[in-house]
Amino acid sequence: MNTVLSRANSLFAFSLSVMAALTFGCFITTAFKDRSVPVDIHVSRVMLKNVDDFTGPRERSDLGFITFDLSADLKPIFDWNVKQLFLYLSAEYATKSNALNQVVLWDKIVLRGESTKLNLRDMKSKYFFFDDGNGLRANKNITLTLSWNVVPNAGILPLVMGAGRMSVPFPESYETTKSY
Amino acid sequence: MISYLPNCRTNMLSIFNSIPTHMDYKGQKLAEQIFQGIILVSAVIGFAYGLIIEQFGWTVYIVLAGFAVSCLLTLPPWPMYRQNPLSWQPALPETTGETQQKPQENLKKKKHK
Repeated sequence: MNTVLSRANSLFAFSLSVMAALTFGCFITTAFKDRSVPVDIHVSRVMLKNVDDFTGPRERSDLGFITFDLSADLKPIFDWNVKQLFLYLSAEYATKSNALNQVVLWDKIVLRGESTKLNLRDMKSKYFFFDDGNGLRANKNITLTLSWNVVPNAGILPLVMGAGRMSVPFPESYETTKSY
Repeated sequence: MISYLPNCRTNMLSIFNSIPTHMDYKGQKLAEQIFQGIILVSAVIGFAYGLIIEQFGWTVYIVLAGFAVSCLLTLPPWPMYRQNPLSWQPALPETTGETQQKPQENLKKKKHK
């Protein structure tokens, strides 16, 4: 504290400690919050094809096409410790070879300050819904769920599953049209 | 390191010595109390404000403002930190004479060599 530099040093160190304590306080005030909101998923069209998956096995694999509606109000998730949400729609189903398959069909990033009302109609999936075999055909229980990662300013990175899921039966037969 | 420029050295030293840069002990204590108080108060205000408007960025800005204010108040040695100077023992004439003569002799010897 005798010279300008030593005063600057202790001032800076003290400010930094206070800032760290505040950041921890920001984390603590939001750590035990429930970040689940109701989600309404509706599937309007399901199509199934049997095509060559050049990245997968040699045999033809099942490729599903899902057109879905999605609506949710994400406002309750946002608080002062949320920078953005990473939403993703995943399909879960069981096949003979695997008890649990999870495929991400679609995702979206909602930044802080953007519109928190999610109201999507007739959305096509962003990513291919490939099974690694023929597990999609006549599968009666393919469940769509919307989950999200909450990206915080400080603290843990919670992975939350939205309340509300949609179960879709897949058709017995493959579409044979060439147009995707 | 500055012995090869004696004139410049004395001029600059006189300029720098004319600016008081020190704080006395009570001033140092006062400065520390002032900056800790300002930063803690701004931290509490910033935390409450950020919590209410749900913007942590404002908390950071308010603490940074407190940091800037306390820098301005406590980094320069303002006269209020020099209100309690130490009372030194008055210089004794004999000892001062010896200490002043010795370095001068040393300097002269170095110059001759």
